[in-house]
Amino acid sequence: MTQVTQEAAAASQPFVMDTVFWTATTIFVLAYAVIVSEKVHKTVVALFGAALMLVLKILEQYEAFHVEELGVDWNVIFLLIGMMTIINLMRPTGFFEYIAIKSAKAGKGDPMRIMTIFALVTAVLSALLDNVTTVLLLAPVTLLIADALEVDPVPFLIVEALASNIGGTATLIGDPPNIMIASKAKLDFMDFIYNLTPVVIVLMVVLLVVVKIVFGKKLKTREELKERIMQMNEKEAIKDPLMLKKSLFVLGLVLVGFVFHGTLHLQPATVALFGAGLLLLLSGTHDPHHYLAEVEWPTIFFFIGLFILVGGVVKVGLIKLMSMKMLDLTQGNLFATSMIVMWFSAIASAIVDNIPYVATMNPLIIDMAKQMWPQEAGLALLRHPDLMPVWWSLALGACLGGNGSPIGASANVIVVGMAERAGKKISFMRFVAYGFPIMLLTVFISMIYVWLRYYVLKF
Amino acid sequence: MKAKDVMEPITETLSPETTLKEAVNRMKVARRGEGWTGVKGMIVLDDGKLAGIVSIKDILRAIIPSYMRLTELGEFTWDGMLEEMTKKVAGKKVGEVMTRDVITVSEDAPLMECADLMVKHSLQRLPVLDKDKRVVGMVYIRDLYQAIVQALLDKEGE
Amino acid sequence: MTNEAAAATQPFVMNASFWTATVIFLLAYALIVSEKVHKTVVALFGAALMLVLKILEQKEAFHVEEFGVDWNVIFLLISMMVIINLMKPTGFFEYIAIKSAKLGKGEPMRIMTIFALVTAVLSALLDNVTTVLLLAPVTLLIADALEVDPVPFLIAEALASNIGGTATLIGDPPNIMIASKAKLDFISFIYNLTPAIIVIMAAFLFVLKLIFGKRLRVKPELRQRILEMDEREAIKDPLMLKKSLFVLAIVITGFVLHGMLGYEPATVALFGAGLLLLLSGTHEPHHVLAEVEWPTIFFFMGLFIIIGGVVKVGLIKWMSIEVLALTHGNMFATSMLIMWFSAFASAFVDNIPYVATMNPLIIDMANQIWPHLQGIKLLHNPELMPLWWSLALGACLGGNGTAIGASANVIVVGLAERAGRKITFIRFMAYGMPVMILTVLLSTVYVWLRYYVLKI
Repeated sequence: MTQVTQEAAAASQPFVMDTVFWTATTIFVLAYAVIVSEKVHKTVVALFGAALMLVLKILEQYEAFHVEELGVDWNVIFLLIGMMTIINLMRPTGFFEYIAIKSAKAGKGDPMRIMTIFALVTAVLSALLDNVTTVLLLAPVTLLIADALEVDPVPFLIVEALASNIGGTATLIGDPPNIMIASKAKLDFMDFIYNLTPVVIVLMVVLLVVVKIVFGKKLKTREELKERIMQMNEKEAIKDPLMLKKSLFVLGLVLVGFVFHGTLHLQPATVALFGAGLLLLLSGTHDPHHYLAEVEWPTIFFFIGLFILVGGVVKVGLIKLMSMKMLDLTQGNLFATSMIVMWFSAIASAIVDNIPYVATMNPLIIDMAKQMWPQEAGLALLRHPDLMPVWWSLALGACLGGNGSPIGASANVIVVGMAERAGKKISFMRFVAYGFPIMLLTVFISMIYVWLRYYVLKF
Repeated sequence: MKAKDVMEPITETLSPETTLKEAVNRMKVARRGEGWTGVKGMIVLDDGKLAGIVSIKDILRAIIPSYMRLTELGEFTWDGMLEEMTKKVAGKKVGEVMTRDVITVSEDAPLMECADLMVKHSLQRLPVLDKDKRVVGMVYIRDLYQAIVQALLDKEGE
Repeated sequence: MTNEAAAATQPFVMNASFWTATVIFLLAYALIVSEKVHKTVVALFGAALMLVLKILEQKEAFHVEEFGVDWNVIFLLISMMVIINLMKPTGFFEYIAIKSAKLGKGEPMRIMTIFALVTAVLSALLDNVTTVLLLAPVTLLIADALEVDPVPFLIAEALASNIGGTATLIGDPPNIMIASKAKLDFISFIYNLTPAIIVIMAAFLFVLKLIFGKRLRVKPELRQRILEMDEREAIKDPLMLKKSLFVLAIVITGFVLHGMLGYEPATVALFGAGLLLLLSGTHEPHHVLAEVEWPTIFFFMGLFIIIGGVVKVGLIKWMSIEVLALTHGNMFATSMLIMWFSAFASAFVDNIPYVATMNPLIIDMANQIWPHLQGIKLLHNPELMPLWWSLALGACLGGNGTAIGASANVIVVGLAERAGRKITFIRFMAYGMPVMILTVLLSTVYVWLRYYVLKI
C-alpha cells in the first residue's frame, strides 16, 4: 500500500526542483534569451548551451547523441542535410531562373499577373523544397523584372515571402517546424497532405484575392516595357541541361519516395539521403567538398544545439512542469488546447524564431498527452485521435505565424535583406502592414478549418 | 629592389564626399606619366589618411544591381540597362562605393611581397605607406612588369 | 536451450540480406580503392542503399551505438576542425614554423630535425593534415631561402606527422575510432603508445641524421635570410591567438582528465569549439563551419552505416571466426598478425575504412573467445588490450609506407608538385617504406616486450 502511494506520488511529482533542475532551466532560459536578443549568433549560443548541458552532465553525451527521446533528432538533421545537398547540386543548373523567367513570360509582362503567378510558383516550390532556397532564387529575378517593368519591387517581394510561408505549411518537407513535428509525432508525408494541404489551398486562394484587391489597380506598366520581358529567352537560363535532367529525375524519385515513405516504412531522412547520395553519384563530382560545404551548417548546428538544450530540460522535468501548467490552464479541453496552441504559436512565431519554439513545444505536447492518457504509449499515444488536431494546430500556427513580421521567418529576413541591398529598404512596419493582417486572416481561417474538420464534422 | 624603389608618386586623390559623377570626371582628366591622361583608379583620403581606393571595378560594382551578383541573370538584361543604372547611381558618394579594406605595403616591402599580394587579391595597384601610415606612393602592376623585364634583360646581358 | 545454443554458434544466416549487404560492402570498398568515384560519394550512396534496402533501419543507423554512426568520433572530428579553423587565420602555425627555423640558426640539418619534432608534437595534439598543410608552405619558403632541395624536408615532415599522430587518442583518425569503440581514454593512449612513439621518433631522427647529415650544407649568407625573418609578423590576430591558445589548453587539459571526469572526448572537444566560437564573437559562423572537412565527415558516417549493415547481417562475425581459425586463439600471434597486416594494408589503402572494419571484427573475435564477458570487461580484457594497441600502431605507422598511405603524404606530395618539385611514388616509397618497416619492427618489439614478456 505504501509502495503504491509512493509510486503514485512519484508519478504526480515526476521531478525534483534540485540544483540540476535549476541549472538546466537557467541554461535553457539564458540561451533562449540570448538567441532572442541577437547579441550573439544563434548557432553559437545553441552550440555553447548544448556543450554546457553535456559538460555539466545534465545530459550524458550518450543520451544527447543516441537516445531519441532526449537527444538530437537525426531524422530531422539528415532530412535537412539531404534536401540541402540535392538543392545545392541543382542550383547551378539554372532551373529556378528558368522557372522564374518562364513565369514572368507566362504573365505576358503584366505586373498583376506576374505577381499572381510568382506567388503560386513560390508556394508550390516552397511546399516541395525549402522556403529559403525558393525565395533566395526567385527574389533576384523578381528584382530584375521589376526594374525591367519600372515598377516598385517591394510588393512583389513581400507577396513572395508570404506565399512561401503559406506554401511551406502544406507538406512535411515544406518548413522546418513540419519536419520536426513529423519526426517527433511519427506523422508521414501523406498525413500532412491529407490534413494540411486542403487548408493551405484555401489560404492561397484567399491570399491571391487579397493581393488582387490591394494591388490590382496600382500596378500598371507601359507596353514597350512589357516587351523587355517578352524578349527574354528563358532557355538561356539553363546552364547544364544534362545535370538538370539528372536533378529532376532524382527530385522526382525523392518526391515519390516521400509520398510512399509511410507505406514503405522508410523514414523521410532515408529518402532524402538516398536522393542526395544518388544525385552526388550521378553528378560524377570529384569534389563533393563544395556541395557539402554549401549546406546551411549554421542552421544544422542550431538544430543540433537546440535538440540537446531541449533534451536537457526534458530530462530534468521542466517541460513536464510546463505541460502540467498548460493542462491546468485548459483543464484537459482539447479544443481549447488546440486553439491556444495555434494562436500562441502564431504570435510567438511572428516575434521569435519558430524553430526553438517548436523544438520546445513538441516534447511539451507529448508530456501533456502522457498525462491525459497515461495508459497509452508509442504510436497509440502520439497519434491519439484527440491529439492529432493539436499537432496540426501547432504546425499551422508556427508556420503561418512567420508571416506576422519581417523577422518571423527566414524567407522574410532574406527578402528584406535582398531588397535593402538593391536599395529598396522595407521597413519593419511596412512589412508588418502587409504581413500581420495576412497572418491574422490565415490563422483565423485555419482556426475555422480545425474547428470544423476535427470538432464538428470529425473526419 | 623594394617597393620604394619602384613606386610612382601620387598626384591626385579623392575625398569620400566626392560624388561618383565627379570622381569619374576627375579620373578621366587625371594625368598619368608623360602625355597620358586618364587613370583607372584613385586613392581616397579622409583627413590626409587613407580611407579607401576607387577603381573602375568598384564603380561597375556600384552600377550593377545587387541581384545580378546573386544569380546568373546576365542573359536577361536589355539594351540600355547599363546606361540607365549608371544614371541612377551618379549621385552616390565615393565613400559608399570605394573599397575600404585597402591592401597596402610598407616602403621596405620586397617586390615579391608586392607581387604576391597583387596576384592573391587580383589587384592592379598597391598604395605604399611610410612608418606613420601615410601614403607616399603607389606600386602599379606595370612597375612589377618593369622589374621582370629588367631581371630578364640583365641576365641576357651577362 | 538447444535452440539457443544453436543460435549462438550460428549467429548468422547466409540469406538474401546477408548477400546483399556483403555485395554493397565489397562493391563500395572496391570503388573506394579504385578511386573512380569520390570516396565520400561511394560511402554515402552505399549507406543510403543499406537504409533503403532495410538491411539497417534508419533508427539503428543513427541511434544504436553498435550498428550505426559513432557520433563520438564524428563530433570529436568536427569540433577539433572547428577549433583549428578558428585558429588558422591567427598565423600561429606560421609563427611556430619561422620560429623553429630561426631556432635551427638557418642550419638545414638542424632545421629538419626541429621541424620533424614540431610536426610530430603538433600532429599528436591536432590533426596531421592541418599540421602538414600549414608547415609545408613555410618549409618550401625556407628551402628556397637556403637554396636546398625541399623534398627531403617535406617527406621527413610527412613521416614525422604520421609517427607523431600515433601517440595520442586525438592524433590520428584510427586512434579516435579505436578509442571510441574500445572505450579507451586519452591517458591510456599516452600510457601505452606515447612511450613507443618517443623511441620511434628518436630512431627516426637518428636515421635522418645518418642519411642527410653530410649532404645538407648551405652558405652562411643564405642562413642570414632566415635569421632576418621576424616571426612576429606572422601573427595576424594576436587577441584571437590568445583566445585560441586558451581554449586549446582547456581542451587538452580536458582530454587528459576526461577519463577521470567521465566525459566522452567529443564532449570536451564540443565544449572547446562552442567556447571558442563564443569568444571569437563571430556573427558569421557559416564560414568556419563550411570549412570543416565535410567530405571526410560524411565519409566516416557512410562507412559507419555500411559497416553497421555487414555487422548486422553477420559478415564481420564470419570474418572474425575465420581469423580465429587462422590464429587458433593465440593472442600474441593475433596481435602480430594485426599489426603487420594493418601496416601493409594502410600503406596502400585508406586506413579509415580499414579500421572501421577491424574494430567490430576484433570485438566479435573477443566475444567468441570470452563469451561470458561483456561491456568494458570484454573491451578492456587485459589479453585483448595489446590487440588494440597493435591495430593502432599498425594502421597509423603503416601510412608511412607509400605516398598514398596517409592524407599527410598526399598533401605533401601535392604541395611539392605545385611548387615544381615532383615527388614520384617510388621516391616517396624509397624513404617511406624502410621507415615504415623500421617503425613497425620497433613496435613489434615494444608490444612483445611490454605485453608478453614484461607484462606491464
